Amino acid sequence: MKNINTRRLASVGAAFALCAALVAAGSSLASAGATKTPGLTSKQITIGATVPLTGIASSGYNEVAKAANAVFNYVNKKGGINGRKIKYILKDDCYGTPGFGCTGTPSTVTQTHALLSVPVFATVGSLGTPTQDSVRSLLKQNGVPQLFVNSGSRDWNNPTTYPGLYGWQTSYNEEGKIFAKYINATYSGANVCFLGQGDDFGTDGLAGLVGGGLTPLDTQLYSVGALVVSQGASLAPYVARFQSEKCTVVVLDTIPGATDAALGAALKLGYTPHWVISSVGSDPSTVYAPFASLGFDPEVGAVSFSFLPVPGSTSPWIPWMRKVLTADKAQFPTFTSATTLDGNMEYGIGWGVAFVEALKAAGKTFTRASFLKTLDSTTFSQTPSLTPLRYTTQDHQGLNGGFLTSVTSATAVAPITGKIYTTDSTPSGPVVSAKKTSSGIPSWLK
Amino acid sequence: MRRLTDKRLALTATCLIVGVIIIALSATTVRVGAVLALMLVVGIAGISTVTTKRLRKAHPVLTRAAVTLLVLDASLFATYFFSSITNFNLAIGAAMSIVLLGLSFLTGASGQISLGNSAFMGVGALAVAIWANHHASTPIFVTLIIAIASGAVVGLLLGLPATRLRGPYLAGMTLAFAVAFPSIVNSFSSWTGGDAGLQLPTAVSAPRWLSSIFGSHASLLTLNTVWITDITIVVTGVAFFFMANLFASRTGRAMRLVRDNDVAAELAGVSLPRARVIAFMVSSGYAALGGALWTLINNSVSPPTYSLALSITILSLVVIGGIGTLPGALIGGVIYAYSTNVISWFTAHTGINSQGNLASQLPGIIFGGLLIVTMLFAPMGIVGAARRLWAKRRLRTVA
Amino acid sequence: MDAFLTSRIISDVLEGLTNGVIYGLVALSLVLIWRSTGILNFAQGAMPMFATYIGMVVFAHKLNFWFLAAIAIVAGFAVGGITERVLVRHLYGKPELNPIVVMVGFLIVLEGVAAAIWSTTPRGLPSPFSPIDWHLGGQPFALSPFAVYEIVTALIVMTLVACLFRFTKLGLQLRASAIAPEVSRLLGVRVGRMLTLGWILATGVGTIVAVLVSSNFFTGLTPQVMDGIFAFGFIAAAVGGLDSPVGAIVAGVSMGIILQFVGDFLNSNAIIVTALIILIISLMIRPNGLFAKSTARRV
Repeated sequence: MKNINTRRLASVGAAFALCAALVAAGSSLASAGATKTPGLTSKQITIGATVPLTGIASSGYNEVAKAANAVFNYVNKKGGINGRKIKYILKDDCYGTPGFGCTGTPSTVTQTHALLSVPVFATVGSLGTPTQDSVRSLLKQNGVPQLFVNSGSRDWNNPTTYPGLYGWQTSYNEEGKIFAKYINATYSGANVCFLGQGDDFGTDGLAGLVGGGLTPLDTQLYSVGALVVSQGASLAPYVARFQSEKCTVVVLDTIPGATDAALGAALKLGYTPHWVISSVGSDPSTVYAPFASLGFDPEVGAVSFSFLPVPGSTSPWIPWMRKVLTADKAQFPTFTSATTLDGNMEYGIGWGVAFVEALKAAGKTFTRASFLKTLDSTTFSQTPSLTPLRYTTQDHQGLNGGFLTSVTSATAVAPITGKIYTTDSTPSGPVVSAKKTSSGIPSWLK
Repeated sequence: MRRLTDKRLALTATCLIVGVIIIALSATTVRVGAVLALMLVVGIAGISTVTTKRLRKAHPVLTRAAVTLLVLDASLFATYFFSSITNFNLAIGAAMSIVLLGLSFLTGASGQISLGNSAFMGVGALAVAIWANHHASTPIFVTLIIAIASGAVVGLLLGLPATRLRGPYLAGMTLAFAVAFPSIVNSFSSWTGGDAGLQLPTAVSAPRWLSSIFGSHASLLTLNTVWITDITIVVTGVAFFFMANLFASRTGRAMRLVRDNDVAAELAGVSLPRARVIAFMVSSGYAALGGALWTLINNSVSPPTYSLALSITILSLVVIGGIGTLPGALIGGVIYAYSTNVISWFTAHTGINSQGNLASQLPGIIFGGLLIVTMLFAPMGIVGAARRLWAKRRLRTVA
Repeated sequence: MDAFLTSRIISDVLEGLTNGVIYGLVALSLVLIWRSTGILNFAQGAMPMFATYIGMVVFAHKLNFWFLAAIAIVAGFAVGGITERVLVRHLYGKPELNPIVVMVGFLIVLEGVAAAIWSTTPRGLPSPFSPIDWHLGGQPFALSPFAVYEIVTALIVMTLVACLFRFTKLGLQLRASAIAPEVSRLLGVRVGRMLTLGWILATGVGTIVAVLVSSNFFTGLTPQVMDGIFAFGFIAAAVGGLDSPVGAIVAGVSMGIILQFVGDFLNSNAIIVTALIILIISLMIRPNGLFAKSTARRV
């Protein structure tokens, strides 16, 4: 009897001590809270993003945030904005898709949690539609703004439910409307077929076509998963269908891998429609790569869309972009005057400049709430994009237009029609065209 | 014996005094004191049961319950002082260890190979998301039961044709299932959200009484993360407790007999197909539970996550941890949660260009290499190797 | 029947045949390894992929297809032989799970090393024949010079392998070493060498497939190029029976054609699901494969 009691007592003490010690240690650590704005001091603002640095979606896309960071580094070297330097933390989420080649953590939610515990003032320039959809409520719940999401979905334009959520690029829907206007004018009466990705990208683009007055004869949606398993052969039946339906115009809302599959399938069938390809999947050097051994580029002559200046244009932003990238030896060690300035780099610099200008407009002292107010009330007309960037309390989509291009070679596109098209984010709002103008660079940024 | 109890008495007294002082300093409210007292009682019962050899032998189930409660006790306290990202990773790892345990049981206890557990995880994950989107107010516990049931049903569907299959054919069938799962999800994209997945309509949020323990200055993120982590840890504990009993029970013994010598099993009256199917259903139910917890932790489900690559990861972690062992599944879960951190640390400290090709492939190369090495030299995994070393040491001290 | 439907059916049959011979060859190489050494080789796609990269590297500047293919196949022999000697040797006689896990690990390592050295950007290999379909009276005819070349190559390889096993002394020794190694040893057969030879042959066959597939300009050569094909080839081998070369080929070709119809008349998601259903049904009918020599014990 005595033994059991003593043993019990021993156990009591041990458990007690362990638990109590932990609680004591814990209560001091766990009660650390923040009363100031997280991620913001008078000398520095800390922002972050989840991007596909490695993995399936990384080729090309991994340059976007780095290019924006090059802008931030450039600005930091000049002393920062209003005395504040920008610290940009990138977390690799592999586009949320696990698989070989992914060094990061293939879960956007996990990586966003990691950013929130830094803490960051806001996420700026995170990439992907499904990835960013999955963290909208997490960020909202914690009051963290989700700015300049790299995707053209309409999901970012929901100010009533997500007041801190902002897109940046021209949406797929708006692009679709502009395509519709062009196709109706140039190929009136033709049979038009549509191939799009089976998520917001394809469905929003299709809605834009229809809203812009063009209802395709046949629409097909593909899934990225099936694409990966069957290496593009899954798109061949769709293209064959289009050929049998005698479609002379085919609209592609496809990522570069799917663009390649469609172009390849058409080539095999001897099918030569007029291709109209979304800006997401039309970058010439990316699309041309698998056809290099054939010696010619089936994409030449395709029409696409852009909202950033073409590398060969006279916009003053082009040499400025090259200057910023060349100066960033850490991230772009091999960038010289001979390196191609590709679409991904321009994209990143485009919203990088927008953020820096928003920061300047916000003033010396601000909070998260006042920063968002600044975004909603300022028109940013001096950014690389050819249309001004404007948000309102009812519209958080971002850029609302661009211009049409034609693929001229394996590495270049050229603008066509000489006009800039702008539209709104309503499903069937009109497309307005204006003469092309280019904006200048603000003097403090030069 | 006398000296032992005296030493223990002295130790106990010291701990008691120290403990009282610490509690007096840190207990800010009556509530905190009450929680501590509860933890204390649980701790007492746990340790005394575990250290009493007689009880251990006579009531194994009780002992297992005590061990489980003890581990839960310690873990729940740990979550109190971990940062939210640590808690988050802990929760993910714990949920994964449930999946690993299920596969460990299937392979270790009943000798069947399955490459399809990522798909079963996906079934559970989607079940929670789809249910929550249609019935937002169901308690978490019920949702988890629904997920387990869905997983078990799908496991039954797959397990029935699998009863007669041997190694490579079973591997092939489960592989085909894992490869087909994303396509199946996409075929029903109106229900499952296709590649984009689904969000939970309301996030899992901490109840009021938890925030009163932490005090008013803890952020919402910390509170919610602690809450979901605690739920996950408790569920993990229950799952492990159940499995430990299953291993030791008549059903578990029957399954091991089927694995080792199915002719003998038949002669002993064990129904082979029944044993195999039950094992399959248990493993798929566990996988579904892990997936369901992931959905609750992440507040969303992303179907592309549940791919063949994940299945291979699961099999690998089971092998590395130790097939058919409980601690092996826990170790596997921890490895899963922290491997990327370890590898980034490694690349950072060895001067490999972190954006280059080698760095991005390093996790895969290390992982694959580990698999080969483990299977060739230590097929019973880390736990198996540790047990062998321990047995060798004991032999040496005895001799 | 209307002309469009007819031409669609013909296209699907031809297209399916082209894919099917590829699956059949992969299935055949899996059967070769299973029959000669009793191992299920999960890396049966990755090893040829690696050999093809070696071929590409050696001929990077010249990029003449035939030389490249020859070097790749020789590299394939080497990879197969070395793998058997160094890795697989330790797996004989072990429980079923061990070789599966080791070969899966090997697959991961090979793909990782290939991507580390050559990156995941697709490399276009030159194609010896044009992949553009012929046209019959304005209608595309689902066969291109490249497709014909694929089918002919596959048939030649299958015939060669069959002849080797049936009609040569070496083939007899290979079969004997697998079925009755002790007796073969007594009769003077170098059993160890035969096992290695089995792997060498199988990897060589696999490399021919890899070269065929990589010079298809839609996909090019990437570390993951053989993943999908391996999955379908594996399913075909299981359907046909891992110990039946005839079964592998028949199952591969049939699956290729059936899946092409499914992809055309249903949608692309249904392709892999149909493959799964075919597999489940065949294994329920005969658990060791449809053409299996041994029958499973009834339980």
